[in-house]
Order: sequence, then structure tokens, then C-alpha cells
Amino acid sequence: MNLEKVVFGFFVVLAATLNFGFFIGDISDPELHNPYELFAAVVVNLIATVLKFGDRTQIGAVHLATSLVADLQLIGAALLFGYATYVSTAGMTASWTASVVSLSGGALLANIISVVLLVVETVSFHRG
Amino acid sequence: MSNPLLAFLVDLLRRDEERRPHRATVRVAAASAARASASIFLVLRRMRAPLIVLIVIFAVSVLGLTLIPGEDAQGRPWRMGFFDAFYVMSYTASTIGFGEIPYPFTYNQRMWVTISIYLTVIGWAYAIGSLLALLQDRAFRQALALQHFTRKVARLGGPFVLIAGYGRTGELLGHSLDRLGRRFVVLDDSAERIDGLELDSYFADVPGLAADVRDPGTLAVAGLDHPSCEAVVALTDDEEANLAVVMAAALLRPDVPVVARVTSRSLAQRMQEFGNPSLVNPFDRFGDHLRLALKAPASYQLLTWLESGPGEPLPPRGDPPRSGRWVVCGYGRLGQELTADLRAEGLEVTVIDPDPDDPDDEGLLVGDGSDPWVMAQADLDRAVGFVAGTDNDTTNLSLVAAARRANPRLFLGARQNRAASAPLFAAMDLDALLVPSEVIAHEIYAQLSTPLLWRFLREMPERGDAWAQELIDRLGGLCGEKLQSLWKVRLTRDEAPALVSCLGEGRVRIGDLLRNPENRDEPLHAVVLLVLRGSDTTLAPDDDFELAAGDELLIAGWPAARRALGTILFVDAVREYVTSGRRTPSSWIWRKLTPDRPAAAVDGAGRR
Repeated sequence: MNLEKVVFGFFVVLAATLNFGFFIGDISDPELHNPYELFAAVVVNLIATVLKFGDRTQIGAVHLATSLVADLQLIGAALLFGYATYVSTAGMTASWTASVVSLSGGALLANIISVVLLVVETVSFHRG
Repeated sequence: MSNPLLAFLVDLLRRDEERRPHRATVRVAAASAARASASIFLVLRRMRAPLIVLIVIFAVSVLGLTLIPGEDAQGRPWRMGFFDAFYVMSYTASTIGFGEIPYPFTYNQRMWVTISIYLTVIGWAYAIGSLLALLQDRAFRQALALQHFTRKVARLGGPFVLIAGYGRTGELLGHSLDRLGRRFVVLDDSAERIDGLELDSYFADVPGLAADVRDPGTLAVAGLDHPSCEAVVALTDDEEANLAVVMAAALLRPDVPVVARVTSRSLAQRMQEFGNPSLVNPFDRFGDHLRLALKAPASYQLLTWLESGPGEPLPPRGDPPRSGRWVVCGYGRLGQELTADLRAEGLEVTVIDPDPDDPDDEGLLVGDGSDPWVMAQADLDRAVGFVAGTDNDTTNLSLVAAARRANPRLFLGARQNRAASAPLFAAMDLDALLVPSEVIAHEIYAQLSTPLLWRFLREMPERGDAWAQELIDRLGGLCGEKLQSLWKVRLTRDEAPALVSCLGEGRVRIGDLLRNPENRDEPLHAVVLLVLRGSDTTLAPDDDFELAAGDELLIAGWPAARRALGTILFVDAVREYVTSGRRTPSSWIWRKLTPDRPAAAVDGAGRR
């Protein structure tokens, strides 16, 4: 067992699960989407991105790309969230919540691709 | 399976077979390109730990701030949001410190912020320290230099020469090529020499890399697989390394000519097995030069003048004694070549060496040349020439001084090994001086500058001394005492459109062509050294030589003459005036207005 692989797999999967946890629930109901979960998803995604730095293989490059996409979407969601809470006079309305959650849904898709890549990599490793 | 698919597969396989020689080069280049881009991956990989530490510290601090209860201005309980917490941590961690925003902190919050300040400062220091350490790292800097070099070489548009080994010889050759306006790329094992490259005053930007020339990957990065690479020159001190360069070039790019420096015969033979490299042995060449100088001093003078490159003055003519006994000190590689050459010319030779390889050689005097008793044995009084050919400059200088004292009328020759000793040898005022690095540089310059010059130099000695003397006088009379410029002209439709159109109709003699376009009574300051027609060469043709389409000319002369000749070859009206003396209108309207005259001029040229 390779500890590096364990850490890598842990963060990739955790990024996807946290993202999923934030995403699930009625898209326009702010009560069902916890900001702490979004914060945790952003942080774990960033760590997963850094872990993917410096891999020269083709699959490593795709890994990094999916992580960057997820980061972009999640940070966008966090910014929207911040804008809705602090700047907008209306606060977290249904439409703002829907925007934030749909952005995190996009990030979830990228994270799922990342997990699929992880599984593909593992399976092909065992076969070879 | 349908037939077209099968045919496609077969076609694919066959194409693969044909491509095989190219593939090896491509693979080597790809490997080196991957190595060049490794520097970015190195940075990313080494920055992983510091970045993760930084992210974690930030996340923990921000999370803590949002969880700890605070109070607003009215003392009501209040919790910091994520944005406020991130804002506070950002300016605190970067030591900017705007204060307690948006409300003054409670003691609980202040305790947490105190811990966070120390944590984040450590995180930043770690990340920045790692980045700076990485920038200082030798491996990283080498990777950066390699990448920079690869990019520079890949961007070289025109043809260039790849020089492996940038010692004294490489430097001389580089300067000669640079004066000709040729580009080159330099490889050397020593980083100091490559650093010195930046201090050298070259017109063009010279990419240089400190790397092992024996590595084919390095050669590929330096442009061996570049389509514009026109020649490879192996000039390192290490003959094995030169052999490795010759091998790599012959196997990866069989179409590129290779020139290598070699002094040992066995290695020369091993190199000959790879393609057909041109080998330069400085000691062998010095022997050949001395023989030429003995037989034909003027030919030798012309040879050294043309080999020394543009801007060099006419070297003085030596007059080595053609009969009598020579004394050679040092029976190493130079001594053996020299003795053989002198004996082949029918001269008697006495060799002095303290530790010769074959002591049975007749005329060999075993002993140290600096020993007065040994010098007395050599009987310098009755000798005519003396050559100090050891590999030690101090010994050579003292030998020459001793020989001159023994017999002031001696013809003195010496070998200079180090560039730093040049002023001492110059002060000695010797009759012949061998500087191996210069011999190699000149020889390779002659080969690379234009193939025509090389051909001229090889065929010139057969013409005899009087012919060479006459050519030196012509060159000196027209172009002065300094060799100005050497260039090649090809009489094709692309390079000489004005001339080619009239070559078919009338006869054009060299004497008619090389005239001043301003005043045709004055000759151009240029001399045609060689005309190549098919595979036949004519050396130094006289004014009556008739040119034909497709001829290649090697011309020496002033740069102004080169420009003037360019005009003659391209502009019909100028060519017409120069060859026939008639001024014809050059513009289309004027030619239409005077329709008869151009036709008459052509008729006249045809009848002549």
C-alpha cells in the first residue's frame, strides 16, 4: 500500500462527497445548503488540486484539468454566496440560492470525472 | 474485412518502414524536449507540501473565526460570516493588519486571531522560502537553462552550424563564422566557457549550453534534428567525445556533413567508419603546410591568406631552406608527422627526444633538448632548420632561444600550445609558428565557409608557385593588402536574372562583367577565384573566360564590389551598360518610347 496513493484518493473522493453533500437538496431552498459545507468543499478541492500538481502523465494532466474546473466553479459559487449575503439587499433569495447550488452542481460533475479517472487508473494498474 | 481497410493498413505499415531513420531522431528530440519542460513540473511538485500547508492553515483560521461567537457595536451576540473571516485572515496573514473589522473583537476572538497570526506567518514563510530555495537550486537552474536554449535553437530560422566543444579553436571558428554572417550553436562540457560566450562580442545571438556532448539527446536539443542544421563540428579536447559526436551525427542525421578534430590515427579510422566525416589533424596539416611552404612559398602564402578569414592582412612569405639538415625537438605526434614530411621532401632530419617510442629510428638523438650537451650533439652549426615541437610552451621557447644562440641563421619553427603564450612567441619573431587550435579553426572555416573555397584550396597547390604569385599580385592590386570579403555567385535565373537572360544570346566574358556600374572603364575591385561548371573547376580564370548559365563563381573582393555585382546581375539596364557600354532605359514607359534601341543592343551583343 502506498501512503501517497491513499492520501491522494482520500482527497479526491472527499472533494466529490463534500461537493455532493452541498449540492443535494431543493435547489432554491437556502435552508438545505449549509455554507460550512461549501467552505469545506472549496478547501478540500484546493488541496486536491495541489496534490495533482507535477504529474507528467496524460491521465495526470486530465486529473489536474478537472480539479481546476471544480475549483473555478466552487469559488464562483462561494463568491455568489458572499455577494448575496453581504452586498445584495435581498439576501439569500431562492434565485441566488439556485445560482450558487447550480454552480456547485457543475463542480460536482467535474469531481465525478475526477473520481472516474481515479477508478480507471486503479483498474488499469491492476490489469497491467 | 473490407479490402480498402486492409490496403490502408498495409500502406500504413509500409510508410512506417520508410520513416524509420527519421523516427530515431524524433524520439531523441522528444525525450530531450520532455526533459526541458521538466522544470515546470519540478516547481509544481516541490511546491505541493508548502501550498497544502498554507491552504490548511488558512482554512482552519477562517473556520475558527466563523465559529467563535462575537459581539456587534451594541453588544449583541454576533457571528462573523465567511467573507469577513476570510478578509480578516487575508490581511492578517500577509502582515498588513487593518485592525478589527467590522466590530471590535471579543477576547475569545482575539485569542484565536493570535494563534492564527503565528500559524499563517509560518505558512507563508515556509511557502516563500521553498519557492526561493527552488529558484536557487542547481538542478532547477540547469533545467531552466536547457529550456531557454531549446527555445532559442528551435527559433533559429536560417541555416546554422552546430559546434560541439568551445575551446580556443571553437572560439576562433565562431568569430570567423560570425564575420561571415553565419549562425551557430555551441555546446561545451564546461559552464565557464558557455558563460564566456555571453561576454564574447558576436553580432548574432549565439545559443550555448553547458552539457555533455557525448549525449545524443544534448546534440538533438542543440539542433542536430533541426531541419536548418547545415553542419556539425566536433572540436573537444577529448577525442572519444569527438568520436561520439561523429557517431551520433552520422546515425541520426546522415545528410549533414560532419567535421571533427582528431590527432590519433586509430580514432581517425574509427570515425571514418561512420559516414564520411571530414577529419582535421592539426599536426598532419602543419606537416603538409610545411611541405607546401618548402616547395611553393607563394602557394603557401595564398593558402594561409584565404584560410585566415575576412579582414586578415596578407601574411609574410616564409622562405624555408630547401636543402640541408633539419633538427626537430620532440618526437610526439607533431614530431613524427613533421619528420616523415621533411624526409619525404628529401631532407635530412635529426630528431631529439628524451623518451622516444621507437629508439631505433635513424637520426634519432636520445636526450633532453634543453641539455647543452645534447644540443651540441645535434650539431646546430651545420643545420639549416630547427623546430621545437614539444607540448610544453616554456620548453619550446627555451629550445628556440638556445638554437638561435647556437646558429643565428637557422630557420626557426615552434609549436605554441596555449593561447596565453602568444605574445612570447610573437616576440621571438619565429619563421614558422604552429598553433594547433588556429590550424584547425582555419581549416574548418575553409571547409564550412563555402564548398568552393575548400575546393579552390585543395586544387590550388598543383598550379605551382608562379601561378600563386601572379594571383596574389592580382588580388593585392585590386583589393589591397587585406582580404575583404569572399562570396559565391550562382548564375541561375533566381540569383542572376539579368545576366542569365543574355547568356543564352551572347557571350559574356568575366572581364566585361566585373566593371564599375558607374563607369565601366574602371574594373570592379573583385577577383574571380574559381568557376565551377558541372563538376569541372577553373581556378582564377582570366578576363577572357566566357561564362555560361549555371556556373558557380567564388569571388574575393571589396564588400562594395559585392553590392555592385549584385546590381549588375539583377538589373538589366546596368548589366547592358557594363557588358556593352550602351545606356538602355530601365523603365517600362521609356523602353516603349524608344523601341528600337534595346533590340539593337541585343543584336550588337550577339554579333560581337
